[in-house]
Amino acid sequence: MTTLSHAPASSRPVPNPQKSLITKLNMGTGMVLGIIFCWGTYYGMKAGRDMTDSHNVNKVLLMSMFAWSVGFLIGIGAFIGPFRWLIGKDLTDEEQLYLAGDGQGISRYFKYCTDHKVVGIQYLVGVMALLGVGGTMAMMIRTNLATPGSHFVTPVVYNSLVGLHGITMIIAMIIVATGPFGNYIMPIMIGAADMAFPRLNALSWWVLFTAVPVLCSAWFLGGIPTGWTAYAPLSDQAGPGMNAFVATIIIFAFSTAIAGMNITTTVVAMRAKGMKWNRVPIFVIGATISVALAIPAFPTFMVAMIQTAMDRTIATSFYDANLGGSGWLYANLFWIMGHPEVYVILIPGVAALMEIAPVFVRKPLFSYNAAIAGFAGIAGLSILVWAHHMYMAGWMPSLNGPFMVTTEFISVPTGLLFLVLIGTMWRGRPWMKLPMLSVYAFIWDFLIGGITGIYLSDVPADNYLHGSMYVTAHFHYTLMGAALTGAIGGLAYWFPKMTGRMLNERGGYISFWFVQIGFNVLFLGMFIAGATGQPRRVADYAHLFAHANLISTMGAYSVGLGMIILLWAIIHSWRSGKIAPMNPWGAKTLEWTVPYPVPLVNFDTPPVVTSDPYGYGRSAK
Amino acid sequence: MSDHDQEVLPPTPGARVGKFLGRSDVRQTFILGLLYTIVFVVLGRWIYPHWMPRVLSKQMQANEDIMIWFTVISAPIAGVVLAIATKSFMNMHRGDTPPEEGIAIRTNTPVVIVWTATSVLFCIVAIVWGLVALNTESIAAATDAPKSIVVDVTGSQWAWSFYYPAQNIHTHTLNLPVNQPVTFNVTSDDVNHSFWPVQLGVKIDANRLVTTVAHADPTATGPLDVKCAELCGLYHAYMETDGAIQTPADFSSWVSSIQATGGVQE
Repeated sequence: MTTLSHAPASSRPVPNPQKSLITKLNMGTGMVLGIIFCWGTYYGMKAGRDMTDSHNVNKVLLMSMFAWSVGFLIGIGAFIGPFRWLIGKDLTDEEQLYLAGDGQGISRYFKYCTDHKVVGIQYLVGVMALLGVGGTMAMMIRTNLATPGSHFVTPVVYNSLVGLHGITMIIAMIIVATGPFGNYIMPIMIGAADMAFPRLNALSWWVLFTAVPVLCSAWFLGGIPTGWTAYAPLSDQAGPGMNAFVATIIIFAFSTAIAGMNITTTVVAMRAKGMKWNRVPIFVIGATISVALAIPAFPTFMVAMIQTAMDRTIATSFYDANLGGSGWLYANLFWIMGHPEVYVILIPGVAALMEIAPVFVRKPLFSYNAAIAGFAGIAGLSILVWAHHMYMAGWMPSLNGPFMVTTEFISVPTGLLFLVLIGTMWRGRPWMKLPMLSVYAFIWDFLIGGITGIYLSDVPADNYLHGSMYVTAHFHYTLMGAALTGAIGGLAYWFPKMTGRMLNERGGYISFWFVQIGFNVLFLGMFIAGATGQPRRVADYAHLFAHANLISTMGAYSVGLGMIILLWAIIHSWRSGKIAPMNPWGAKTLEWTVPYPVPLVNFDTPPVVTSDPYGYGRSAK
Repeated sequence: MSDHDQEVLPPTPGARVGKFLGRSDVRQTFILGLLYTIVFVVLGRWIYPHWMPRVLSKQMQANEDIMIWFTVISAPIAGVVLAIATKSFMNMHRGDTPPEEGIAIRTNTPVVIVWTATSVLFCIVAIVWGLVALNTESIAAATDAPKSIVVDVTGSQWAWSFYYPAQNIHTHTLNLPVNQPVTFNVTSDDVNHSFWPVQLGVKIDANRLVTTVAHADPTATGPLDVKCAELCGLYHAYMETDGAIQTPADFSSWVSSIQATGGVQE
């Protein structure tokens, strides 16, 4: 697709702005200042306040959490640039090169580094850690549910596990593809030297990083009893741990807004010469639509959380029916974010698989326009469907019909995504490598997730299924079976470019089958339990559901084992895997035209794009 | 017209379809699709009713019908997708070098149109089915109201309580007469709950200081499980009770037995 000359990498001097404060700051200084800010705020606000009043406790805790976040960001140097602007200056060229991590080795991953490749790796490691924590909580949930009457954990701990597993996984899944691949790969894919706003890019990661200890603190503050939906008025009633949830969401919303704006601007403004819109790789299109969808969606969750915080701290009554508020207000705000968010998660995963399929089938992507129409149709409709989560809430039953119509229609653009993938496969001879296996797993999993979604979007059927384990199984088929499978496929595909090494194939295959078989066993059991009448989010259940739950737990252990094997394969391959050639799959997108390690500005000579990247195949006989 | 001219004429659409259907890969894909379709039909028609609880109301029957028939209707579409994926999987190339280039099919407009039209048609069937069922339920709720038995349902952390105004009894189990419509007026004393009499196939949230309404038409006698379907705090899992759909005579004697103890169920 591209004419590109590989000029020898220029030999830049390693920057050494010795007198600059920037060189003294890193994650350690960030943590120290963050803790000082946090404890200072805690003790400063606590003094003279009646701490038996829950409103005061909530005020002190919330402000301490935000203080941690601000202190950390100051301590790591996030605001040095803006501060210089305030006094009419800017960073020197040498300082900017230093910020980009030039020549700093592994230490740059622990600094406020503006290189998009460093940010991509930070996101990748962060996502893996979040998935590991969320997955461990899932194993604990399933262990408790293995048999009826289990006391593996108490109901308090169980409810917290459900909520924290949920929010940890949602955060992980929102960034699982756009974080690592959107930052590391995407700018190279479009021929850019970096992201549009490199400092904001680093800021998006480190803001997200500050949310993690805040979320973890929920465990030490009594947990959260609300699930990740955090419905009011249960959230108003909840103990101090709820503050951690509220603060996490508000901080995370800042991070996603910054990242979304950055990715969107980069794709719109920084594509290589000749990369018209119809030549943009489909992963870039998907990731951009995904973050563009998140930009208007996530602030509503932040608003919902700010109002929760106000109810809990200064006794407003947004959600308190006793004082004229309404839980329906919260539910609407939450789901206005909540349903687009499903597609924010799903679309990049599917787009990654669409990038993979043509490479391994050695055929063009079937109907590129249909793929874009599918993504755009889903994104457009997804902002009009939120109240299908509220059919049984009692809020505006007269709107159930219209919301059912919009929700059912999402199956049309969703169908186009299937068409693109099976059209690409049609009459092809796929190269059965790990990334391609993920495409097949996606088709099976998302088909089941999609069809069961059609039942759930139908009001009469939802009358029975809503709030049951059936719903839990359905959305895991879409979020885990489809989106996570897509992201794992993407990792297997881009691992050589991100690490310079090939992902261990044997480990990858073993992991794949443990995860996929276990996944289907796990959620088949959950479909049965839900159809039989087991509500979701219950710490215990009747003997009637025992077999289905035992099946689910066995499946969960298989998934857990598979994920551990995958983690081993990743670590092993990253440290000592086979050295990857520059383009191991013979792909035609731009990221495969640059060597590993990728130069600081990606391309020594700006690439010129002359065609789309799907020019595979021979003429039909 | 010479023989040579006849040879270069493009094939008719019928001939192209015939040639397409005559290909061995197409036949194999078709057979696979048929097998998948049969599996999904069997799953929908026989497995779902086996999983779901006994049908005790018109609403539960409507739910089960949707589960069954939506699966049956979607079976051919699922069959096509899985058949093509399976056929492709069976053609796999293994090894460390990529396979030879496939056929460069950029798109196929008739296929895209037919696929989209089929999706829209399936969608319209699902929507019309749902709207008709929704409308039928709304009409039934309105017309049945005068002859309905009314039950005021209150959720509180973590128990259900019921008040039957016409009978003036307070209970903690939910008993109802068969073949008489029932209207549930549902509220909450504290946080959100979701009232779910499972075998009746209806569900409605219980909200603080708000009354929400659900309607059901019991059609058969049998035991009833009442659960909470909205996470409501510490003992959410244990917020359940039971009851029964009874014959009118059994229901009357149940009511009388409670009235005899002062109108409050022990």
